Amino acid sequence: MIDLIYFLKRNTLAAVGVGILALFLVAVIVGPFLVQSPIAIDMGAKLQAPSPRHWFGTDNFGRDMLSRIIHGGRYTLAIGILVVGIAFVIGVFFGIVAGFTGGILDMVTMRIVDAMLSFPALVLAIALAAAFGPSLENAMIAVAITLAPQFARVARSQALSVSSLLYVDAANALGLPRRQILIRYVLINSIGPLLVQASLNVGSAILQTASLGFLGLGAQPPMPEWGADVSANLAFVRSSPWTALGPGFAIFLAVLSFNLIGDAMADWFNPRRRSQIG
Amino acid sequence: MFAFIVRRLLSLLPVLALVLVIVFSLVRLIPGDPAITLLGPGATDSQIAALRAQLNLDEPALLQFWHYLTGLIQGDLGTSLKSGQPVLSEILLRLPATLEISIAAVLVAILVGTPIGVLSATRPNSFFDHLVRVVSLTGVSMPAFLLALILQLVFATWLGWLPVSGRMSSYLFVDHVTGFALIDAWLSDETGAVKSAILHMILPVTVLASFLAATLGRFVRASMLETLGEDYVRTARAKGLSRREVIYNHALRTSLLPAITVVGLKFAEMLGGAILTETIFSWPGIGRFMFEAIRNRDYPVIQGATLVFALLFMLTSLLVDALYAVLDPRVRRKMN
Repeated sequence: MIDLIYFLKRNTLAAVGVGILALFLVAVIVGPFLVQSPIAIDMGAKLQAPSPRHWFGTDNFGRDMLSRIIHGGRYTLAIGILVVGIAFVIGVFFGIVAGFTGGILDMVTMRIVDAMLSFPALVLAIALAAAFGPSLENAMIAVAITLAPQFARVARSQALSVSSLLYVDAANALGLPRRQILIRYVLINSIGPLLVQASLNVGSAILQTASLGFLGLGAQPPMPEWGADVSANLAFVRSSPWTALGPGFAIFLAVLSFNLIGDAMADWFNPRRRSQIG
Repeated sequence: MFAFIVRRLLSLLPVLALVLVIVFSLVRLIPGDPAITLLGPGATDSQIAALRAQLNLDEPALLQFWHYLTGLIQGDLGTSLKSGQPVLSEILLRLPATLEISIAAVLVAILVGTPIGVLSATRPNSFFDHLVRVVSLTGVSMPAFLLALILQLVFATWLGWLPVSGRMSSYLFVDHVTGFALIDAWLSDETGAVKSAILHMILPVTVLASFLAATLGRFVRASMLETLGEDYVRTARAKGLSRREVIYNHALRTSLLPAITVVGLKFAEMLGGAILTETIFSWPGIGRFMFEAIRNRDYPVIQGATLVFALLFMLTSLLVDALYAVLDPRVRRKMN
């Protein structure tokens, strides 16, 4: 812990990331009690510029953009954690089992992983989300499926190297059941790099899901999701740029904070890189 | 070299087969009867029956896949539900537009990203190095559609320096010869066509290139720092070569090799970004076509475009491997 504080002190960028994330957390926890409803329509106040009454202006339906951004933040936070969580569970399960079992199962799993990584991530997510039907849940599942192969790869290589260690041999010799060895020895000892991978992926999970929302494949109106809000307000962007730029910058800042933290975590777990930071 | 490429192609076959299975399954993932979902409410029974027949939905899945494969070999990617045209010809019509900005973006990214990476590696922890780190993290975190929107607002709408969208000013008549606006403009007699084509390309290319340049810069920096710590670099310095000579003649060549792989992989991701970028700039490529298909629920087009993106990606990774073999004597020796 002391180490971590020292690390944050030296690593300004990581501290900035933690700072943005903290602001973001306060806003989504306290914010909804302070602002009006994100779906309250007020046609008399449509497309108003930012003012003391509406800090981030209003959209084409007179809805308060600040309120929509704050409520959207709740979805975004849930999206980042859930999508990476689902991808983690699917990917790590297949990767660890493949690496530990080896043989034909390993070969088949890894070819499927190769095939899935042969699609540009966003393209595969679009194709899946379009097939499942447009909704936020489906978009999240689609993005999770496209992220899972990366977890499978890391998990497999970790499982391969851990399985060859002496204590796994010893556990085998003691006659422990394979499932127990897999969970207690292989999974637990592979967890570090997997967590780094997870922290690096929260940002892209948010970015991809917002992109699907922007393309009309994610959250549907009137849900205050950031990506969907950017595209809903594209038509008014020349005359009222705040309507699209507000949620757009919110996506950027959220992704940036997670990327800064993920980057620092990767440094933290990699002593060779750690020494390079000044 | 030839044997290497053939072997590499053969090793791609199982992956290609799985890619085809995935793309084929996409339509079958649609909940309920795909034909009814695709046609939407208000479709007549005979329309639904016709679409079911066209997609061979009444046959067993394996037979359906067989029909899909034999169709593909004959260049049949299905028919667009919106326009009624074959998907393949619709995609081929738009492919040059996407390739035009993608290739330009790769070139720009290499020209910008490499020197930035080298400069920050040779001055680690300097102000410049930190600045590069901040800028590249910003670049990686920025949604493509937001950057596109900001650039469009600032340089096109407010300053008026560049065109807002499209590929060519509407008063210019340029014949469609190659499909590449720049080449067609150069071939035509219209004065100002080349200039117009370039001006229209600047914003979309900048958006696409910025992501690639950001990742490439960071990668070259890391790779260069690693190389600079190698024994042979120290030996070269000890022999009395100048710092500059060591950096540019010894270290740079070795550290640029892995960067080729990064450019190849990121090129594919950039194609995904093209969907967002082309949408904002109304650039008539495959990306915007896919966006329109999503809006119209034109599933055969989404399916076809997905396959084309995957094939482009596989082709790029093959090219990257071949290039790697040509440039790296160690890989070349292992090959023979």
